[in-house]
Amino acid sequence: MDRLYRALLRLYPAEFRDAYGREMAQMVRDRTAREPRARLWIDLLRDLLRTAPKEHASVLLTDVRYAVRLIRRAPMFTAAVVGTVALAIAANTAIFSVVNAVLLRPLPFAEPGRLVQISEKNDALGLPNFGASVLNFLSWRERTRSVDALSAIGFASFTLSGLGEPEQLSGNRVSPSLMPLLGLAPVAGRAFSAEEELPGAPSVAMIGEGLWARRFGRDPAAIGRTVTLNGLPVTIVGVAPAALNLISGGEVYVPLTIDPSKEIRLNHVIFVAGRLKPHVTMQQAQAEFDTIAQGIAAAYPEMRDWSVRLITFFDTFVSAQLKTGLLVLLGAVAFVLLIACANIANLLLSRSTSRQREIAVRVAMGATQGRVLRQLLVEAVALSAIGGAIGIVAAVWAVRAINASLPPNLLPVPVVHVDAIVLAFAVGLTLVAGLIFGVAPACYTAKTDVHDMLKNTARTAGGGSRARVRNGLAAAELALATLLLVGAGLLLESFLNLQRVRLGFEPRGLLTFQLAPPTARYPLADKAPGLYRALLESLRATPGVGSAAVSSGIPFGQGNYTTSPLQTSGPSALPAGAAVPIDWRIVSTGYFKTMGIPLLRGRDFSDAEDGGGGAPSVAIVSQATARKFWGDMDPIGRSLHRTADPRPFTIVGVVGDVRSTTLNQESPSIYYPLSTRAWPLMDVVVRAEAPPEALLPALRQRVHDIDGELPLATVRTMDEWLSASAAQPRLSATLLSAFAFVAVLIAAIGIYGVIAYSVNQRTREIGLRMALGARPGGVMRLIVKEGMIVAASGIGAGLAAASLLGRAIASLVYAVPVDHPPTFAGVGVVLAVVAFAACVIPARRAARLDPMDALRCD
Amino acid sequence: MALPVAVLHILVTLADGDSHGYAIMQDVAARTDGTLRLGPGTLYGSIKRMLHDGLIEELDDRPAAGRDDARRRYYRITPRGRKAARAEIARLEKLVRQARATGLVVKHG
Repeated sequence: MDRLYRALLRLYPAEFRDAYGREMAQMVRDRTAREPRARLWIDLLRDLLRTAPKEHASVLLTDVRYAVRLIRRAPMFTAAVVGTVALAIAANTAIFSVVNAVLLRPLPFAEPGRLVQISEKNDALGLPNFGASVLNFLSWRERTRSVDALSAIGFASFTLSGLGEPEQLSGNRVSPSLMPLLGLAPVAGRAFSAEEELPGAPSVAMIGEGLWARRFGRDPAAIGRTVTLNGLPVTIVGVAPAALNLISGGEVYVPLTIDPSKEIRLNHVIFVAGRLKPHVTMQQAQAEFDTIAQGIAAAYPEMRDWSVRLITFFDTFVSAQLKTGLLVLLGAVAFVLLIACANIANLLLSRSTSRQREIAVRVAMGATQGRVLRQLLVEAVALSAIGGAIGIVAAVWAVRAINASLPPNLLPVPVVHVDAIVLAFAVGLTLVAGLIFGVAPACYTAKTDVHDMLKNTARTAGGGSRARVRNGLAAAELALATLLLVGAGLLLESFLNLQRVRLGFEPRGLLTFQLAPPTARYPLADKAPGLYRALLESLRATPGVGSAAVSSGIPFGQGNYTTSPLQTSGPSALPAGAAVPIDWRIVSTGYFKTMGIPLLRGRDFSDAEDGGGGAPSVAIVSQATARKFWGDMDPIGRSLHRTADPRPFTIVGVVGDVRSTTLNQESPSIYYPLSTRAWPLMDVVVRAEAPPEALLPALRQRVHDIDGELPLATVRTMDEWLSASAAQPRLSATLLSAFAFVAVLIAAIGIYGVIAYSVNQRTREIGLRMALGARPGGVMRLIVKEGMIVAASGIGAGLAAASLLGRAIASLVYAVPVDHPPTFAGVGVVLAVVAFAACVIPARRAARLDPMDALRCD
Repeated sequence: MALPVAVLHILVTLADGDSHGYAIMQDVAARTDGTLRLGPGTLYGSIKRMLHDGLIEELDDRPAAGRDDARRRYYRITPRGRKAARAEIARLEKLVRQARATGLVVKHG
């Protein structure tokens, strides 16, 4: 009984226990003799649970009060620490909010972990993740037992008219089962019914929440209204939640009506999604689809090289590159925080010397070593907490700025929130940071030897090992800064490589916009090409326009980027019957001239081929395509056809290669003349002789003159498209460089602090050396050498670590090996120079010491 | 500022004469018919704070040997402690008067 209670007394703070533990135990002994045992224990336990936390809190409060007093007494020191912590915590919190939003928060669908994308793949063509065809989608839906609610999404653009100013919108054709599959309910009205998938069903549409707010002011009366979509009357039946837009990117939805008789199995145009049935694993579902794909390939010979790949929704929406990029940034800010911690630890260590006497007095007055340690840690955490609070506020602002300034579509989430998880992370990180930078100095300070201190001889007490810790911390800071600077250097190099990439066309002075003439009024095979011909004629006659053309997809735009497998029938550099995926475009005459793409052989399309009608099927290929199919043979006059369609196209010209979707790869292309057919959405590109922006009203007027119902969409200059395409590498390079800069700055301050402190401590020794004949130059060399040994070990360790960790960013860099020697050498030199400068300042001060003053110095 | 209940009871007990921890606890329990038994943590936690605030003091000289165990620590109320207890009791009396005036409490006898 007595022993047990004395054991329980350990729950109280040591001071309290030391002061009253004996009395409390005595009291329990007294009561044991007179009170019923069970009731006594209930009383005691209740008492213990109530008062032990209270006593701890009261000790903590004393410590905090004491800490606050000290913090207020040293405002400069406090400002330095708090500022550093605030900066590091703000950067960490802001980056973590993005990581949280993209990688941690579940997608806004019901049980998103069970949602899968079902894509087609063709290893022979090197297509690992391709769209699905409608006929395959039907076969899958019929045969699968492991995946539920198979749904398809097709991509389309719609011209909305009949509501004032016509507007061009991107939209989707979706299976009625899509909304239930995702677990989404309409915001208003209803979703599509199963019958609306059948051909001949009445024309209905759902609109996105954004469009509902923008065009209808969220008016419920919008439901049931008939609007004109692509020239046809359609009834709005419901409003889709914003989450649907995340996977489809559209603002208008119509049912995907399926007429199998009009489909081709090789026409890979839809995105297919489904939900794994309960207890079915990804592997099991993949195995089932492998079997299904084999069955389809056996029944339809054209499918022989195609198989099916299941991809989790997470992998579909979060690219591996984005994931790596975010984790690298998170790692970078974590390094900044560690560097900051090391620096603050050093600040606290140098301050601990000046506080030793104060501590010694407290120890002499009876404070235990544990008590002093606790006090010092509370001080560190209090400093950290002030910095952290400022940092969190700054992070909230930073996240707001991120939301406002990030290019759209860079992240697969609409907005980044600072939510409870982010706040918990920030608070936790603040506390951990306080403990990290507080623990080493606290241990050293608490170990103060009272007798030495009070005798005032302790100036060198623990000096040796403390100096080692300080030097080690400074070296670690430099090592981390080196690592960051190498990373930033590689990303910067890579970004510059991207900027130097030969695009294959001349972007300056190009103005682009999109047109989507309603197919009801402008059928793609006849009226639409005519419309474009008339428009181009009118545009080319506009003053300030050098030339104009249309394309189904300009480089880096939002047009059509479809790839289709092509093969040749005649002699070829490829094995007979081999197909190669080639990007295709439909272009008007003058496209190559307008874009500045060089015509290398043969000729451009003629006006006859542009004008529709019975012109022969011709095509122009890029140099890479020509080389793939025919090697060094002359491609003019040879023919290519789509694997899905035997009609041949005769090659009449060869043009230069163009970077068209990403800056880091060149894709072989084929160009078809506008006479073949138009695409529903075409990019118009104008080479302006005047500033492109000034030309815009005139261009708008020309379009209006031809058809007043035709809206111009996505008006951009080519430079804007290019800038958007480089947004992610630019952002990674900029952020990492900023973090690296901060890191180097803090590390430089760190090494300066260590050397300056060492000079201060060694004033007497330096004075003695000078009195004995050492020259200022020699003293300076001595000090600088000391600093540079620390710096060299830090930089060396950092470069070694960078060569090991470089692989982590391999997927983010373009045309730079991750062990790029010039980058490593450059970083080493830059940091050595910075460290040298940081050492020279205190060294010069040492060299200028007057030996007499130095020796007199206490 | 209201005094915590435990503190007021300890002051009342000590107003009657110097005492040690266990005796204070017994006295409080007796005066409250056993409804308030101060646990060791509550009692010494209160004592610690009361010493800090100067409401009580610890005695250096023990009462005569034989009357009680000389190893125990004895406490005495300070003038400041008396003042605080009086103020608190006056505050409570005022509160009781106000409560009666509202009809919340019926006056006994």
